[in-house]
Parts: sequence; C-alpha cells; structure tokens
Amino acid sequence: MNLVQSIDWLAIAAPTVLAVAAVVVLLVDAFLPRPLLPATLTLLAVLAAAVPTWVLWGDPAQSTFCTGDALEGPELCSFSTDAFTLVVWGIVLFGTAVVTLIGTAAVADGRTPAGEWHFLLLCSAAGAVTLAASRDLVTLLVALEVVSLPAFALAGLRRGDPRAAEAAVKFFLVSVVATAITLMGISLLYGVTGSVFLDGIAAGVATGSEPWSVLVVGALLTVVGLAFKVAAVPFHMWVPDTYVGAPVAVAAYLSVVSKAAGFVGLMLVLGRGLPGLADTWAPVVAILAALTMTAGNVLALRQTHAVRLLAWSSVAQAGYILVPFGAVTPDDVGPALSGSLGYLAVYAIVNLTAFAVAAVVGTRHPAQRLADYRGLVKEEPGAGWPLAFALVALAGLPPGVIGLLAKVLVFDAASRVTWLVVVMAVNVAIGLVYYAAWLRELFRPAAEPGDSTYDVPNGVGVAIGMTFVAGVLFSVLPGWLLDPVLAALG
Amino acid sequence: MNLSALVLNGMVAAPVVLVVLVLLVARLSEAAAVRVAAFGGLVVLGWSVWLAALSQTRLDGTAVDVPWLAAIDVRWHLGVDGISLPLLLMSTVVFACTLLALVRNAPDCGGTAWLAALLLLIEAGVLGSFLALDLVLFFAFFEVALIPMWFVIDQWGDAHGPRGLQQRRRAATRFLVFTVLGSALMLVGFVVVRSETGTFDIVRIAASYDPVGPVALTAAALVALGLAVKTPLWPLHIWLPDAHSKAPTVGSVVLAAVLLKLGTYGFLRFWLPLVDPGWDWLLPVVGGVAVVGIVYGALACLAQTDLKRLIAYSSVGHMGFVVLAAATYTIGGVQGAVYASVAHGVVTGLLFFLAGAVKDRYGTGDLRELRGLYGRVPRLGGLVAFGAMASLGLPGLAGFWGEMLAVRAALFPAGVLPRVTFVGFAVVAALGVILASAYFLALLRSAFQAGETGASPPPAVVAGDVSRWEWLVWSPLVAAIVVLGVAPGLLLTPVAEATVAFLGGGR
Repeated sequence: MNLVQSIDWLAIAAPTVLAVAAVVVLLVDAFLPRPLLPATLTLLAVLAAAVPTWVLWGDPAQSTFCTGDALEGPELCSFSTDAFTLVVWGIVLFGTAVVTLIGTAAVADGRTPAGEWHFLLLCSAAGAVTLAASRDLVTLLVALEVVSLPAFALAGLRRGDPRAAEAAVKFFLVSVVATAITLMGISLLYGVTGSVFLDGIAAGVATGSEPWSVLVVGALLTVVGLAFKVAAVPFHMWVPDTYVGAPVAVAAYLSVVSKAAGFVGLMLVLGRGLPGLADTWAPVVAILAALTMTAGNVLALRQTHAVRLLAWSSVAQAGYILVPFGAVTPDDVGPALSGSLGYLAVYAIVNLTAFAVAAVVGTRHPAQRLADYRGLVKEEPGAGWPLAFALVALAGLPPGVIGLLAKVLVFDAASRVTWLVVVMAVNVAIGLVYYAAWLRELFRPAAEPGDSTYDVPNGVGVAIGMTFVAGVLFSVLPGWLLDPVLAALG
Repeated sequence: MNLSALVLNGMVAAPVVLVVLVLLVARLSEAAAVRVAAFGGLVVLGWSVWLAALSQTRLDGTAVDVPWLAAIDVRWHLGVDGISLPLLLMSTVVFACTLLALVRNAPDCGGTAWLAALLLLIEAGVLGSFLALDLVLFFAFFEVALIPMWFVIDQWGDAHGPRGLQQRRRAATRFLVFTVLGSALMLVGFVVVRSETGTFDIVRIAASYDPVGPVALTAAALVALGLAVKTPLWPLHIWLPDAHSKAPTVGSVVLAAVLLKLGTYGFLRFWLPLVDPGWDWLLPVVGGVAVVGIVYGALACLAQTDLKRLIAYSSVGHMGFVVLAAATYTIGGVQGAVYASVAHGVVTGLLFFLAGAVKDRYGTGDLRELRGLYGRVPRLGGLVAFGAMASLGLPGLAGFWGEMLAVRAALFPAGVLPRVTFVGFAVVAALGVILASAYFLALLRSAFQAGETGASPPPAVVAGDVSRWEWLVWSPLVAAIVVLGVAPGLLLTPVAEATVAFLGGGR
C-alpha cells in the first residue's frame, strides 16, 4: 500500500483558495482596516476559485484522496470533481459572490464587522464547495458542519441586536440536534455496510448487507439530519425567525447557498450512496416534499413582512426541489435528481434577486412591510422591475420563463409519482396568491411621492443587476443554463 | 430564415415588439402611445391575414422546429392548420377592435398606454398558444397571458360599490389562481403523456400515440381537468362571472372572446389525441359535464341582475356546446367546436362591448334599474338585440351553426361511444338552446323594451347613441357575425381537412 498519497492539487484548488482567503481576509482586516477591502478580497477569492472550476469543466471526473488499489478491490475516493460537483460549485460560487455584494449594505451601516463577516462567509462557502466534491460520509459530514458553524455566527453577527442573537441560538440548537441524528445514521450505515465511502455503501446495499432493518434506520436518520438543512417539514420551524432576525444578506445566504448544500448532501447520500434503498426512502421523501411545500405556501399566505414571506416561500420552494427525490427508483437516479439540480440552479438566481432588492428596501424601511414596497417600480425601476421579475419567476409564470421551465423540469422528473405532482400543481396555484399580492404593491403608487426612492448601494446594485440579467437571459435561452446542468446527472 | 419561419415567428414576435414600442412612446405622450398600439393591432391583424393567405399555398409546416430546452426535449415548434387558423384570425380581429376602442374610450383611472401594452402582451401569448405544436410551448404561451390579464382586472377593473376595490382584487386573484391551477394540472397530464410517448411534440403524438392503460387514462383525465378550469366547464367556472363583471370592458372582451378559446382549442388540439374513445367513462363524463354546463348556464342567466354577469354565464353555456361537440370524437364534432368557438368569440366580444357601452352611458349594468333603452338609445338597443339573437342561435347568424353542429354531432357520435347517452345529451343541449332564447328575450323585454312602469331609469352619464368611433370598432364583429351566419362553408371545409390530416381519417 502506498503510504504517501498523491494529491491532485487542481481538484482541490477551489476549496483551498476559499479557505486560505478566509484567513487572509480576517488578518488583513485586523491590520489594515479599509471599508471596501474585505469585500473586494472576498470577490477576488470567489473569482479565483471559479478558475479551477472552469478549467476542470473541460476535463471533469478528477478524483483524489483515494484508497485501495488493484489488489484490494475497486479504488474508492473521498474527493471527486465530476460534472455534478462542478455544477454545484458554480451555484455556490455565484451565490457567494452575490451575497458578498448584498452584504456591502449591511457592512456599510457599521453594525456588522466587515472582517468577521467575510471570514465566516468564505469559511462556509469553502465547506459548501468541499461538500459537493465529497464522496465519503465523514468528509461529507465535516463539510456540512463547515457550512453550518459559520452560518450560526453569521446569523447572530449584528452587534447589539437581541433578535439576531436569539435567531442564532435557535438555529444553532436545532442544527446541533440534527447533526447528532445524522451522525447516528452514518454510524449505523457504516456498521452494516463496512464502508464510509458512498460507492462502498452502494455496493454493500447492492450485495444485500444484513441486517436490512438497521440499514433502513440508518438511512432514515441520515435523511432526517439533512432534512433540517433544507428546512423540510417538520424541521422548518427555525427558518422564519432566523431569516428575519439575521441581516438580509445572511438570510439570502441561508436560503440559497446553505440550502443548496443541504440538497447536495441529500443528493449524494441518497442518490450516490443509497440508490439501492430508493424504494424505502423515496416514499418518505415524497411525503416530506408534499408537507413541506404545503406548509410553506399556506403559512406564507398570511405574511405581511417581506423577509418572513420570503422565508416561508423558500420553505415551499424547498418542497418543490424535494419532489423529484420522491420519484427516484433504484435504477433511475440521475434523470430524476437532475430535475432537482436544475430547479436549484434557477431558484438560486431568482431568489437572490428578491433578497438583494429586499436589502435595498431595508435601508430605508427596516420594518420590511409589504406596503413599504409600494411604488417601487415607478420610483426605483432599477430595483422594482428585477423584484417583479423574480416574483413571477418564483411563482413560475412568464415573463419569468426560467421559473416556469424549472417547474416543468420538476414535473417531468417526477411524472412517475402522479399524486405528488398533482399536489405540487395545487401548491403552485396557492403560492400565486402571495406572490401576486406582493407584485400588486410594487405597481401601486407610493403612499407619499418619493417614499420609494433609494440610494442603492453600489454593491447591491451590482448584485441585483447580475442576478436579473442572468434570469432574463436564461428565460430567453433556457438551454444555456439548463442543458449543462441537466447533463451533469444525466 | 426562410419566409415561413419569418411569418410564423413574426406572428408571435410582432406583438412583443409593439409592447416595447408602445411603452417607449408612452414616455413622450400617452395618447400617441395608444394610437401606436391601435395601429399595431391592425398590423398584427394584417400579419395574420398574410399568414392565412400563405398557409393556403406555401407555408412550410416544418419551418419552425428547433430545440428550445434540449435536456427534456422541449422544442420551439410553431405551425398552423385549419383548426387553429380560424381562431387565430378571430383573435387578431378582436384584439384590433379592443385596441381601437381604447383610442376614444380611455378608462377613468388613466394608464391607457399601459393597458394597451398589456393587451398586446396578452395577444402575443394567445397567438403563440394557437401556433404552438409542442405541449410545453403551448403551456408556456398559455401562461404568458395570465399575469397581464390579472393586471388588467386588478388595476383597471370596476371598483364600484361599498367594497368594490376588495371585490375587484379578489376577482383578479381568483382568476389568476384558478387559471394557473388549471394549467398546472394540464402540465401534469402533459408530463405523464411524455413518460408514455417520450415526446412533447403533438404532431408526433397525434400520429402515433396509442393511449392504452391506466397511465394514459390518468394523463387524459388530468389534461381534461386542467382545460375544464380554463374553458371553463361547470362546476369549475366559478372564477368566471366575477372576473368578467369586475374587468374593464376591453378586459371582458378579451377574456371572453379569446382567452376562453385557449381552453376549447386545447381540448381539440392537445386533448383529443390523448384520448381513446373506447374508454368507458372519460368522453361521456366530459360530454355530460358540458351538457350540465349548458343547462346550468342558461338557468343562471335567468337569475342574473347584472348585464355583464349575464353575458358571462351565457359563455358557460356556449363553452358547454363546444366541449360537447369535441367529446363526440368526430370530424363533425371538431367542425362544430371550432365554429362555435369562433362564433362565440365575435358574438360575445360584441356583447361585452355593448354591455360596456351601456355601463358607460348609465353608470350601471344593473338590469333592475335599466329601463326602456330602445327609446333612449335606439341604435345601441338594436345592436344589443342583434348580438342577443346571434348568441341565442338565430339561423342566419353566426351562433346558429356552432350549436346546430354540436347537437348534430352528439346525435351521431363516434362509433364506439354509447349512442343512447349522447343522444340524451343532444336532447338536453337542444333544451338549453330554448332556455337561452328565454333569458335573452327576457333581457330585451325588461331593459330595452319596458317603458315607464316601475322605477325610473337611471339618468344618462354620457348622453348620445352609438358614436362613429364605436361603429368603426364594432362593425368588423357585426360583419363577421353575418358572414359566418350565411356562409358557414368558409370555415367548415378547412376545419374538416385539417382534422383528417391531424387526427387521421375514420374518426
């Protein structure tokens, strides 16, 4: 056996860059405090991490940290950059960049320490990137914790805000319990199959490891832990309070990057590690999906607080993303889950637009009432139109064609389980009520002329522009986004 | 890009380009923007006539068929045949009329240029739906019209009454939610069809799909359910009367004349190929529901006190005829369905214009208050009488042939369908025709003929009979009603040919 592992540095370049940059940003801000420097460094780090992603796209399926050789059986690797990994990296890096830009508004008000904010953001992003590439349960769990731990701190980062602190504590407690449950599940899976590698577990399941019941319990416990990360019912209660208590940029991060990490974990564990048990877990996830979207939509109906509405809407959207999981069969994993991945990519773009505009409105109207959005289209068209677009795209209607096609993708991926798709169809209609109510406010005349004019911070303006242009572009040419994303799992 | 591709893509793109143009001009002058929109409506009408002329001779049906979302095989596939062309032409005529009407009859709350732009956007969605030959593309175009229509009702609707604003908003949102629920269910049916056939291409599905088994039945039932919300069929029509009575005049016209036709067109183009007439219950149930709708619509009309609601409920009945005809699964049925759809478009479009004119003049559409309009506005009254006669199916006017063909198709349904059941449907539907005569005649007698008895009529807000501009706007519809009434062959032959080509012979 080779005692010295050869490491493919190109494959691990992206998470390494982000992790190193996190430390650099913290140190630079400590010794050279300049208002815009940490944000600039963070954006540069994200760009630098995008370079290896781009290079690897031409030649995917690099693996490193492998064990085993020809004598000991098939080679098992802990870290792999296949097309799936790279697509997720794309989503995570795009999301992190946009959140950094949105965060410039929060940092500017002086209550959020710039160095710590960017340090935590980069740490968490490094975790998300590692997670997507991890191919064994230990790496996966560690990566998931690297995503979550900075997120607790981020949620409570605002100085002198008791609501933020309460949100962070709530988030932390629920998360820790979920992690403990996941650990229990992982230990059972390892105990039965004798492997922590996802491919090894899949092989173990395929050859009929005993006892079956322990395997099933292990799988379900692992699913439960990951369901918390994606805020599936009944693990969704932390979401609204945390989103409202945290700065808007953090809420955006939680709803897009952190949530994407949870879904990636689910895709890897269920799709890569436990496809053989799909007949067992798919119905469970189908019920979770139905409950999640229904709870999210119904509770969103009564909200008058914009961020809280977005929080419930993101719970509902998580339910939609879970739908294809419910239609997986042991020999048909990739095509089903690619529906989820495609939806996730679209959701990331349009949801970030909505949060970016909410950050702008929050600078003058921290109460975030829906009525505060009156007149936005007329008085601040640069923010109003993108938000209107994001809302119709989240609702799945033209002109947000990309949102409509994302729903078609999910429907198509899950067509085997017709009842679930019908539930989703009903939910799409319910969801319209609150998106339409918000949309109506945007187009009403402002209560007082000039009430909806904003001094849009440059960074947030760029964030709005980036996500809006992406959304419109992909609405016209959906293949540019969705063809490569869907091919990744195909 | 060859000529066929230019004409087909241009048919969808032209209204979108006009939307941008209208919004740009609106920054300079609202009135000019509305004129641009009206002129644009005529341009689109002209384009559709060009398309129709070319389709007779040298339109290449495979010209526009490129991948749009290759990952799940969604194609940008447009085409036109004898089934869609009449509906397409009817739509462009109605839109041209509504846009012209806006030039002289601006809504009270302003924003006419925006209203015109939204109407053009709706037109783009409608025309795209009639041209789309891909299931997902049809769904997507279908949805294009919804948000603009929601805005039209929500922003320009009628807010009279103590809780008018709230009611208007509720009507708008209910319209949106119901319609989206319908299209989402339809989409579920479509993806199930794809799991059976492996394609979203309706031409390939129509040619080669053999619907057997429970999955195929589920798919067809879901598509029928979705379309039944949009058409609408009883008992899923409950969004319709509110939406109509709260919408502004142009909104009601477009909603009734055009948007409902998307549902009936969906039944013909995207539902019939998914159906096996040998199934025990699906076609008879759809036919039965349609017949219940005919009778229900007529009875509901008798109880209405609001002019617009009355016309709205009469639409429920007319849509029942269309769907009954489609459910017979015969060429004659498709002919009747297309004919009744086109006729309903022009007749009900005209009636909603007239109802709007009455409401503008007297500030109310309440039938308990309106009295003796023949005496006060004789020409308007005459036009209402003309529209009512066309709507109740007077021979010689457009409404007659659609209903006659529908009833006849029900008497001779496809061979495998239960003949006795459908003959029963035909009898009840004929009864519905008589009931329709009853409510329209009652309307004419109470609001138009009745003289001085009872409460005094409301004073005129706007004096004067039909203006020249109104004649100009309405005359195309009046002419269409007469032409369709006396020369049904214009429409029936191409529809029959297209049906044979699309659905295959022997049906």
